[in-house]
This record gives sequence, C-alpha cells and structure tokens, in this order.
Amino acid sequence: MIEVKNIQKKFGDKVVIENVSAQMKPGQCNLIIGASGSGKTVLMKCMVGLLTPDQGEIFYQGENFFSMRHEQRTAIRKEIGMLFQGSALFDSLSVEQNIMFPLDMFTKDSSAQKLKRVNEVLERVSLKDVNHKFPAELSGGMKKRVALARAVVLNPKYLFCDEPNSGLDPQTSLVIDKLIKELTVEFNITTVVNTHDMNSVMETGDYILYMYQGKKEWEGTRQDIIFSNNKLLNDFIFASEFLKDAKDMRMLEQTGKIPNVRNMDDMTKP
Amino acid sequence: MSLLSDIGRFLLMLKGMFKRPEKVSMYWKELMHQCMEIGFGSLGIVAIISVFIGAVSTIQTAYQLVSPLVPLTTIAQIVRDTVILEFAPTLVCIVLAGVAGSRIASELGNMRVSEQIDALEIMGVNTKTYLILPKIAAAMLMIPLLVIIAMALGIWGGRLAGTAAGIISPTIFDKGLADDFLPYNVFFALTKGYVFSFIISSVPAFYGYYVRGGALEIGRASTKAVVVSCILILFADYILSALLL
Repeated sequence: MIEVKNIQKKFGDKVVIENVSAQMKPGQCNLIIGASGSGKTVLMKCMVGLLTPDQGEIFYQGENFFSMRHEQRTAIRKEIGMLFQGSALFDSLSVEQNIMFPLDMFTKDSSAQKLKRVNEVLERVSLKDVNHKFPAELSGGMKKRVALARAVVLNPKYLFCDEPNSGLDPQTSLVIDKLIKELTVEFNITTVVNTHDMNSVMETGDYILYMYQGKKEWEGTRQDIIFSNNKLLNDFIFASEFLKDAKDMRMLEQTGKIPNVRNMDDMTKP
Repeated sequence: MSLLSDIGRFLLMLKGMFKRPEKVSMYWKELMHQCMEIGFGSLGIVAIISVFIGAVSTIQTAYQLVSPLVPLTTIAQIVRDTVILEFAPTLVCIVLAGVAGSRIASELGNMRVSEQIDALEIMGVNTKTYLILPKIAAAMLMIPLLVIIAMALGIWGGRLAGTAAGIISPTIFDKGLADDFLPYNVFFALTKGYVFSFIISSVPAFYGYYVRGGALEIGRASTKAVVVSCILILFADYILSALLL
C-alpha cells in the first residue's frame, strides 16, 4: 500500500500541490485525475522520488520513503515499475534489449532465463515478432505495450502509469487500460495511473483522486462518480453534452429506472 | 551567480558519479560501448586532420626557412615538436570537443527530455554513475591514444608532403626527427591529452544531463557544451604550458 500524507510542493512562489493526502491499495487501479496543470504529474513524481516534496510524507508499506537511507530507497525503487507518457524506451536498444535491461541490471539469471521472461511479458502484452525491432520502428500503441512489458518484467509491487493513453486512438487506449487493469489484479500490484482520459476513469478507476489547482477536490470510486454532485468534478469528467447524457443514462440504469440493455459491442473485448 | 551555481552543480555531478555500481558487468559493457563510440568513432576525422596538419606544417616551415645556413633537418625538428607539443593534443582535442562532446551532450539531453534518465532512476539505477562515469572513463582511456596516433600520423604526413614536394628527402627528414628529441615533450602532450579528455567528456555530460525543455534546448546545450569545452581546452593549454614547460 502507498500512503500519501499532506504533500506540498512549490516551484518558486507557485504552490503546485497543496496538502494532498491519499491511500492507494494493492490490487486496484488508483487514478489521479485532473486538468492539465492541476499537479497530478508533480504528485506522481513526488511519489516515485523524482521530485522531493517541500512538506509531507510518502509511505510504502508503512515505511517513510523520504526518511529512508539511499540503499533502502533504491530497494523500494526496484519494486517500482513505471510507464511514462512518452514510453521512455531506450532508443539505441531493441525491444528485447529494452525489456531485458532491468533483468540484466538486477538479476543473476542466465541469458536463456532472461529471454524466456522477456518473451513471457511480451506475450502478456500481446506482442509477437517484435524482439529485434527498435523503438523508432514501433507504433505509439506498441511502444506503450513494450514500456508496460519493461515496467512489469521484474514483477513490481507498485506500478505507476503517467498518462498511458496520451496520443493513442480510443480503441488502443482501451486495450492499454485493460492490460493495466488485468496486470494489477493478476499480480496484486498497487497501480497508480495519472490520466485525464474519461474512458480510463470509467473502465479502470477503483479509487479516483480528483485534483483541482493543486488540491484534492474529490475522491471516491467510479461508481461514486456517477452519483457525485461535485460541480468541478462533473464539469471536468462530463464536459460535453454527450457525456452528460451518458452519465444520466448510467444513473438511470444503475438505479433500475431504465433497462440496462445497450445494443453496442463491448470494445474492450478483442 | 549562474556561473557559481553551474560550477557547484558540476562538482555535485562529479561527486554523484562515484557510487557503487549496481552490476559491474553492465558498467563494463557501457564502458566498452563508449570506448568504441569515442575512440573508434573519432579515429577517421583524427587521422585525416593529423595527416594534413603535418603536411601543411612541413610545407609552411620549409617556405619560411629560406637561409642556406639552416640545415634541412631543422624542418623535421620543427614539424616534430609542433605536432607533438601543440597540434596533436590541442587541435585534435578541439576537434574532438565538436565530434565527441556534441554527441555526449545531445545523447544525454535526448535521454533527459524523453524521460529515459527518469526511467533509469525509477528502476533504481544511479544514472550519474551509469551514464556519465563510463563516458569520462572512456574519453580518458581513448583520447590520449588518439593523441598518440595523431602525433604519428602528423609526422608521417609531414614526411610524405616534404618528400612529395621535393622539399626534403625521407632520409634527412628521419635524421631531423631523431635530432635533439626530448621524450618529455611526449609526456607533456599526454598530460594535456588527459586534461583535455576530462574537459571534452565532463562538460558536455553536464550540459546534456541537466538540459530542460525540448529539441531546441538539446541543440542549444550541445552548442554551449562545445563552445565551453573549447574555451576551457585553450585555457588549460595555457596553464599547462606555463606550469610544465
């Protein structure tokens, strides 16, 4: 479990995060949502230690991350996988070498064992025959899947995803969301996803933290969102008339006022 | 203020490099990769420059030595000492600041901007040790070797040009090379080579590692790294000459 307590971060005089607290549990997708500039990326960077908060604490399994010794912090980092917005694959390495990198660096496995593990995770993210391709030869969706494979290759306890759907078409976004959700449940990972993609929120959000101008404005589950009357949250999530109608329809469905029968394909299924 | 802060960050970067490697074999692999990139990657340009500089030195020295009282062996001596003392270490290192330095700055800058450095940090890799130390170590291993190659090729180029232009026969040139040869000059050139190789690798690594922004900033950092490296090389050249000669 990850616990964030009263985090505050300033850049110069500008307060980017103000007194944010949250609890993120294992086996569920914990979403940080909010408009651009609301502080969600800074919060995530504080959580993984890429930025040091000016105030507050972050606990991994009850241990304060920022008061740990360097070695302890490194040990925690080895349990963290992160999917970056731009994938952050190493340009000069092939897909296989990219995924093998954490294994090369942190395990004493033989080459055959490492290759087996690489192929397992590649299969898990539904990629085949890409081992020897370079990142420049892959599509955006494939890069995200390779990055996800690299993030989970060491069986992390914590998975951080920074805007996993940015730059992807809606269908590929759903595939990535589904993968993140499945991996989270399958390996009981504490997953933290930073997103402003409404599909992700409604499909994967077990716990949702909505940030507005650096502050925690709302928290709850995706079920709670449907019935929430927080104006800022509703304006953000259901920004268009179409989405507002969708929310109303979902409310009526869930309260049994209209039948829950929609003649649409389930886009998340292959 | 900015200069002092940059010097402070540069020193902290150097301090941060000396951490225990996560896995020695991975660092060794990276060191070998950098040796290939910095050493063999620059060999072609170093060879071409050295041969032509030696050739031009011979022709221009002969052009200026018009007195019949000056023996022809003097041409070879002047070419030898100029190439060993100045052209091979300084000129070659200035060229390498452009070739290897800009590559180091843009490689690290691109890694920073595309979050590859953050990805390594999150994995638990000490990025200063893994990305910067092998580059500096490789430069300090390979650049003095390139300087030695540049010395040999420069003198050979001078000999070739002298013979081809009918200025000096190979026998007289070889005799001139051996006359009054001071091995200390080679030591001095190698000392310069070590100092310059540290500048060529560490300064661009600093500008690349701390770059912020996008493609434009990577370009700016790369240019700044080359300019600062060249100025520091010339400054160090003066200091070393004043101290050691």
